Amino acid sequence: MTAAHWLSATEVAHAYAAKTLSPVELVTALLARIEKLDPRLHAFIRLDADAALLAARQAEAEMAAGRGRGPLHGVPVGIKDIIDVNGLPTTAHSKILVGNIAKADAVVVQKLRQAGAIVMGKLSTHEFAIGGPSFDLPFPPARNPWNPEHHPGGSSSGSGAGLAAGFFPLALGTDTGGSVRNPASACGIVGLKPTYGLVSRRGVFPLSFTLDHVGPMTRTVADNALLLDAIAGHDPADPGSAATPSRHFGRLLDRGVRDLRVGFVRHFHERDMPAHPEVAAALEDVARVLQAEGAQVHTVTLPALTEFSGINRVILCSEAWSIHQTWLRERPGDYGKLARRRLLPGAFMTAGDYVGAQRRRGELIAAVEDRLRDYDVLLCASSMDPSSRMDDAAETARTYPRQARTPFNVTGHPALAMMSGLSHGGLPVSVQFVGRYFDDATVLRVAAAYERATAWHKKKPPIG
Amino acid sequence: MDPIVIALARAAGLDKALADFPDDVQAAAEQALNNAGAVRVPADPTVEPWPPMRAGIGL
Repeated sequence: MTAAHWLSATEVAHAYAAKTLSPVELVTALLARIEKLDPRLHAFIRLDADAALLAARQAEAEMAAGRGRGPLHGVPVGIKDIIDVNGLPTTAHSKILVGNIAKADAVVVQKLRQAGAIVMGKLSTHEFAIGGPSFDLPFPPARNPWNPEHHPGGSSSGSGAGLAAGFFPLALGTDTGGSVRNPASACGIVGLKPTYGLVSRRGVFPLSFTLDHVGPMTRTVADNALLLDAIAGHDPADPGSAATPSRHFGRLLDRGVRDLRVGFVRHFHERDMPAHPEVAAALEDVARVLQAEGAQVHTVTLPALTEFSGINRVILCSEAWSIHQTWLRERPGDYGKLARRRLLPGAFMTAGDYVGAQRRRGELIAAVEDRLRDYDVLLCASSMDPSSRMDDAAETARTYPRQARTPFNVTGHPALAMMSGLSHGGLPVSVQFVGRYFDDATVLRVAAAYERATAWHKKKPPIG
Repeated sequence: MDPIVIALARAAGLDKALADFPDDVQAAAEQALNNAGAVRVPADPTVEPWPPMRAGIGL
C-alpha cells in the first residue's frame, strides 16, 4: 500500500471517499514528515501547522455532513512565498519584505480555499523569484530531495522540493523565465506554465508584468490538470487575464497521442546550447516513446534560443527595474548578491531597448505560431543539465541559464516540464511539451501519455 | 570603472549601490549591454510592440 505522503491528490480523494483516510490523518502524517525531513531540505519558509490542522478538521466535518466540495476537498497544498496568503507574511524570501503581512488571499489561494484545499504554508523561492540558490538571505535555500547537496531548481524551489519530498501533493509556483519548469525538471515532478492570462496573478508579487505566470506543480499529470481546473479563470481585475472560459483541463488525459503531430525542436539542445549527453539521450527516448504510442514526430526549427533569452532578459530587467528601483536605490544591501546582480541591469536598459525587444517579440511569437499551425505540440529540452551542487557557485552560474524555457514566457504558450529519466548521478532529467494558446489540455494529454508509457513519476528520491 | 557606467549609475540614482557594490553595478551594466545587443530589432519601422495597445479593453 502506498504511504499517505506519496498519494497523489486523485488518490487522496479516492481514499477519502472510501473512508480509508481522513484529512486530519493525512495532514498529521505530512506534518510529522515535514518536521522530520524539512530541516535538511528547507522547502518551507513558514509552516502553518495549526491552520492546516484546523482546515483539515473543517474538511472532515464537511465531508461527514455530506457537504463535499469536489476533488481537492481536504487536499494539502503548498504556496510559493510570493503569493499572498491572508494573515501570513509574503516575504519573497527577502529581507526587503520580512514582516510584509498579506491582508487578503491571492485570487489563486481564494480559489483553492473555495475548492476545499488545505494551505500548509509558505514555500522557499529564489529572492523575488529572480535570484538563485543563495546563502545571504533571511532564510536558507531549499535543497533537492534527490540529493540535498544539489539545488532543486527555481525560483519555485520550495514547491519543487516539497513535492518531491512528499510534503504535499499540490503546490503553486510562478514562472517568468522558467521558474515553475526549472524545479519541475530538477526535482522530477510535473510543472505547467499555463497559457499567459489563463490564471490570475492578482495577489502575487510581480517580477515582470508581461512575462509572469502562476502555474500548478504536482507529482502526476492528472493532479496538474485538477489543480489547473481549480485556479484557472478570468479575473477582470488582472489586466493580463484572458476572457476565456476555463475548461476541464483533464478531459483529454486518456486519449493517448495516436496521430498527434509533434514538432521536435532539436536545435535548442543540439546546436543552440548543446545539452549534457544524458539529457540529450533522454529527449531522443521521449521522441521514440511518443512515436511508439502513435504520434508523428518531425524535427522543426524555431528562432535561436539566444534570441528568445535576450528578449526575455531585456523585458524582464526593464519591467523588474520599474518595480524595484526605489529599493535598489535606497536599500541595495538588503538584497542578496544574486538578486541584486540580476535586478540592477534594468537601470542600464534604455526605453529603446525595451520597446525594441517588445517589437521583436511579436515576430518570435509569429514564428512559434507558424509551427503550431502544423503541429499539435512541440517537444524540446527544459534544462540542458542535471542540477549542480549547491556549493559550486561557478557551476550553478554556468548551468542555470542553459535552458529552453524562456521562449514560452516570451510567447505566452502553455509549456509543461516533467521527468524523462535519471542521470547516472541519480538526479532527474526532463522534457518540455509546448502547446497552442489555451490548448493546455492537449499539452497535458501528451504528458499523460508519456507518463503512462514510462512511469518515471513512480520513482521516488532516496530520502525515506 | 568605466566613467560612462559611473555616470549612468548616478543618473539612475544608484549612488549607494555604486559605493557599496561597485562590482555588481559594473556586472549589471555589462549584462544590460550584452542582453540588449542580442535583440534583433525589426528593420521594418511599422512593426509594433507586443502586446499591442487595445483601447477600451482591460480596464
